[in-house]
Amino acid sequence: MTDAAMVPLPVHAVPPRRRGGGSTIDRARRRLFIPFVGPAFVFYTLLFVVPAVFAIWISFNKWAGAGPMEFVGLGNYARLFSDKLFLRSFGNTLLLLFVVGLAIFLIAFGLTLVLRDMVGRKVARSVIFFPHLVNAMIFGVLAGFIFNPGGLVNTLLGGLGVKDPPAWLAQDNLFPLIMVMLTWITTGYFTTILMAGVDRIPPYYYEDCALAGANAWQRLRYVILPLTWDVFGTCAVLWTISSVKIFEIIWIFGGSTGQGMPPTQTWTTAVYTYVTAFSGESVPAYGAASASAVLSLALVSVLVLLLRRAMKREAIEF
Amino acid sequence: MAKIRKLSALVLIGAVALSAAGCASGAGGADSDELTYWSMWKEGEAQQKVVAAAIEDFEKETGVSVNVQWQGRDNVKKVVPTLNTNKVPDLIDGSFAKLAPVLAETGQAKPLADAYDTEVDGEKVSTLVPEAYRQGDVLTVEGEDAPWMLPYSLTSDAIWINASTHPELAENPPQTWDDFLSAMDEMKANGETPLAIDGDVAGYNAYWYTSAMVRIGGPGSLNEIAADKTGEAWDSPEALEAAELVQQLVDGDYFIDGYNASKWPAQQQAWADNQAVLLFNGTWIPTETAPYAADGFTYSSFPFPLVDGGSNAERADFIGFAVPARAHNAENAQKLASFFLKKEYQDALGTDAKILPIRQDAAVSEEMSTVKAALDGADAYFLQNDGISFPGYTEKLLWPAINDLVLGKTDAAEFVKTMKSGQAEYWKQNS
Repeated sequence: MTDAAMVPLPVHAVPPRRRGGGSTIDRARRRLFIPFVGPAFVFYTLLFVVPAVFAIWISFNKWAGAGPMEFVGLGNYARLFSDKLFLRSFGNTLLLLFVVGLAIFLIAFGLTLVLRDMVGRKVARSVIFFPHLVNAMIFGVLAGFIFNPGGLVNTLLGGLGVKDPPAWLAQDNLFPLIMVMLTWITTGYFTTILMAGVDRIPPYYYEDCALAGANAWQRLRYVILPLTWDVFGTCAVLWTISSVKIFEIIWIFGGSTGQGMPPTQTWTTAVYTYVTAFSGESVPAYGAASASAVLSLALVSVLVLLLRRAMKREAIEF
Repeated sequence: MAKIRKLSALVLIGAVALSAAGCASGAGGADSDELTYWSMWKEGEAQQKVVAAAIEDFEKETGVSVNVQWQGRDNVKKVVPTLNTNKVPDLIDGSFAKLAPVLAETGQAKPLADAYDTEVDGEKVSTLVPEAYRQGDVLTVEGEDAPWMLPYSLTSDAIWINASTHPELAENPPQTWDDFLSAMDEMKANGETPLAIDGDVAGYNAYWYTSAMVRIGGPGSLNEIAADKTGEAWDSPEALEAAELVQQLVDGDYFIDGYNASKWPAQQQAWADNQAVLLFNGTWIPTETAPYAADGFTYSSFPFPLVDGGSNAERADFIGFAVPARAHNAENAQKLASFFLKKEYQDALGTDAKILPIRQDAAVSEEMSTVKAALDGADAYFLQNDGISFPGYTEKLLWPAINDLVLGKTDAAEFVKTMKSGQAEYWKQNS
């Protein structure tokens, strides 16, 4: 998982290529190129690229999943941008991406610093990572038991003398609750990755810091941050990609354990896409759903590109 | 040597690709002796046992082998991607509300002329499915001469009560809206909670408005309003009056505490535990709540009260079979569909599975007897959401607005305003 595990490729060691020439190893490598890359390429194209291109094509049409397709050009996209519900769903996706993302990284980084030289940190790491192992849906269902009017939280609060507890699962409170829960679920995962980055910083840098009389802040600023910057970048990209796809916890959290669908206040673009195509309550609109999915994909691509640009630094070798 | 290796690798890749593509090969011919059936029931459900028994008899009697997959309620969703392929199942079942949008309205359902012409127990199937439920040809696609769906069961809704704790409601249920309100006031005076509702399930909230609207404006009135491209149909006094009835429930504080912040099935559990007197919900409630119902719970029900001498229509949603247009064994599929209307299976659906069989002469369980009586006494019938199936209309516009109304976040006037502008916007985008 960590960069430390990667074996550096001897890129510069390759001599200039001559047609049909090169060392024996080079020739063997070229021969093996097709058998090794081919199957993956074919599968990837068949199962991934072709459906993706087809989805883009569908997004230019009005289609109920069966029967005739009606070409509408960019109509579906224009519709999405004038649909308040889509814009709200899009806003929710951005909230997850940025607000939850920021919370996760601040907490994860804080934990990393605390856990770096804590006693029993191995146990602590496992405990922090644990929520990520459990399917998000379980937390969604669990939320019902915890936050229902007669649930655990209100019972505890009642014991403390709180007469009028908040309506936790009210439609307007659901999304903040989902954000908190997502932060809690995901922080452990990124803490683990960040810690791997911090752990590979050789101890003599810290010794050097101690000798130079650097304080904790300076140590962070001049040693830890620069040396883990690429790990941060990778984590940011990972979170961007996964946050745009968040679906199941919202679907379940909204109180739809098999009954209907979550309230529109909690929808993200992924939920919007799903309801548009598969709600089962009305004629499916595959074109609009595909357009929404393609927009999500575009959002991820642009953000990832921007992130990579913004996070770009000279890699520091150590 | 290297060439051979390269070549064999290419051949291997090609073979893999071909076998992947080859999955979509065709199935049997016209007069085959098999059929594929994707069922909405899951193994172990009471309904599934009845269907399975019927299939066994069918196979013995006809020699047709039935390849059945017990898929559960998502079977219709799973059918959609197959509709354009050769792997489409020959027979599926589901509720009208789920089948109609994906099959009937996209022209992907076969008219079931053969099934309706078949004789079962000496009677034509077309007479076994009561004419009254098929008023207005709801089951027939325009321009076709036979229905595309063969129902074997009905779902309806009712205001459910525990007849053990409230025998007076079972004997003498409130007939009109005013009776209903005063009965609930009495409950409140006795320190009881009148109404349980799982407010997080939009479909359940919507029952209240849809039913009120049908009572006032008659079946189809909500559908008609929804079809108005300008949204101005919402200015009709009926639409506002129906919303005001719902608002009365909120203002009167009749709903159970916390209904706006709970997760299904918390509130129907509370109801089954006698923490509330009434529950307005579907005919599945006795089966669904039985596992956690209080000791001595006796299910009974009464229909949604009448409003000012308006319509007494009852909700009659169909559950039944449909055959996709591209099915290879459509003939066998129709045979099985009509075979299932035999009285023995209809009786079993009524008594074992405790759902409402479609046949008028079939047995019904004690729990369903009140609903059956209400259905028999009704002059007209309506479908869930009053039959609205415009893409996304219910999920994205109607239900969220009704949620706000039932959860007390908006009042009747606000609701109508939201619907009016929202609907104009909706049709601007969707036409």
